[in-house]
Amino acid sequence: MLIIEGLTRRYGDRIAVDDVCLEVPRGSFVGVIGRSGAGKSTLLRMVNRLADPSAGRILWEGRDVTALQGRALRDWRARCAMVFQQFNLSGRLDVLTNVLVGRLNAVPAHRSLLRLWSAEDRAIALSALERFDIGELAAQRAEHLSGGQQQRVAIARALVQEPDIILADEPIASLDPRNTRVVMDALARINREFGITVLCNLHALDIARAYCDRLVGLSAGRLVFDGPPEALDAAAARELYGLEADEAVDHAPALPGPTPQVAPFALHA
Amino acid sequence: MNRSLSLRDAALADMAGIRARHPTVFLPLPASRLGALLLCAAALGLLVFGLWRLDFSPARLVDGFAQLFHFLGLMIPPDPGTWSRTVLILKGLAETLAIALLGTLGAAILAFPLGFLAARNTSINRAVQFLSRRMLDGVRGIDALIWALIWVSVVGLGPFAGVLAILTSDIGTFGKLFSEAIEAADRKPVEGVTASGGGKLHGIRFGVLPAVLPVMAGHVLYMFESNTRSSTIIGIVGAGGIGLMLSEMIRTLEWNVVSFIVLLILVTVAVIDAMSGRLRAALAGARPA
Repeated sequence: MLIIEGLTRRYGDRIAVDDVCLEVPRGSFVGVIGRSGAGKSTLLRMVNRLADPSAGRILWEGRDVTALQGRALRDWRARCAMVFQQFNLSGRLDVLTNVLVGRLNAVPAHRSLLRLWSAEDRAIALSALERFDIGELAAQRAEHLSGGQQQRVAIARALVQEPDIILADEPIASLDPRNTRVVMDALARINREFGITVLCNLHALDIARAYCDRLVGLSAGRLVFDGPPEALDAAAARELYGLEADEAVDHAPALPGPTPQVAPFALHA
Repeated sequence: MNRSLSLRDAALADMAGIRARHPTVFLPLPASRLGALLLCAAALGLLVFGLWRLDFSPARLVDGFAQLFHFLGLMIPPDPGTWSRTVLILKGLAETLAIALLGTLGAAILAFPLGFLAARNTSINRAVQFLSRRMLDGVRGIDALIWALIWVSVVGLGPFAGVLAILTSDIGTFGKLFSEAIEAADRKPVEGVTASGGGKLHGIRFGVLPAVLPVMAGHVLYMFESNTRSSTIIGIVGAGGIGLMLSEMIRTLEWNVVSFIVLLILVTVAVIDAMSGRLRAALAGARPA
């Protein structure tokens, strides 16, 4: 179980994440939704400790991970794998080595730095790639792959960490609709087959509804919605997204006709 | 797929299948790795051969070090001696700085158009590009010290020859650096300008120049810094600046003065380094509209 208690992050005067409390049971698929700049990324990055909280705690299985340092911190990061919007692969390295980066924490440094991977690690990496139908790309340079293929490589890298949690930060924001499905299906499969908890930042509400079994809504850093996708009705969505509601919902048929709400905001004069 | 099976178990269970499908991954030494290893071995062999051929002797190095420490002892404390000599040293340093500044600026101004002519994407045609590139290579092939000797015999002793020496040798360097920056510039802005009906010069002015100008300014600042050092050396052959004084003091074994001058140069270079570092960061960050 992942427990987040009063998590806050300030950048100077600006509050990116404001006193967020959350409990995520093992094996759940949680979508973190909200408009751009609502603090979704900062929240996820704090769980992996790529960003440090200004206040609050993150507990995993009762253990505080907010104060971890050095080796213990790297062990924690290996257990909560991260998937990025821009894939964050090493473009000039081949696909297999990019995936094997996920094994770094389990391999002694003198072996990994010389790229002396064991046959077992290679097999794990290839097995992960084959799972996402990109086994035949193992020898290619990562930068020569399409966006959807690169994101699947990134998910394979996350998977070979044998993590407890996968944190996906807008994993589909740079992809076309077809690849969006492929990548979200990959995350759903990991969640189902290995029971890995998935925390996924999403901008598009229809995708979040289709894949997540629970939605968490952030607005200006505060947690304003927490419940199953069915509970998020049109009014709640509009509160969460404001002017962007129609764009985020993407013409979902469940919503009534477009009624742009301009009232609380003034457009550029 | 079985839910209870972990990724590791699944991979190990299918080990034979994975090996069969990806035989190259499990080779003990792939061809690319073997090539890299051979290359490293060859480079190491060349290094050892070169050291042996040039009579590299650790014993002589150790003996030399003892001599070095002896000189270092003589250099303490750094002391310019008389007051009038201090003024002379400071004047020489100022002259060195002036040579570096004028030489660098002059070279940058002259190399600016040459850089565009020598870049593949902005040159007039292949012949012009080839000729300007070869010319820059030729100029760059001769070191500033040689240029100093040449210019001293042409215009006589003094800082004027120094400025000309720095200027000529740096035209080559700047031309090369500028043209490489221009070739590395993104093509998309140029395409945007061309698609809007702009000519080749418009493409350079609005597509290339905004991207490469900060890079060029960075090169100029770095070269000014590096030229402050090299204009010390060209002073030794009579092209003005503090180098002449320095070589004089080494010849007459006035080691306290030598260390004073060297420290002064170090401080000057460090100050210029710090200033140009800030300037370069500012140039790269804040881009005017």
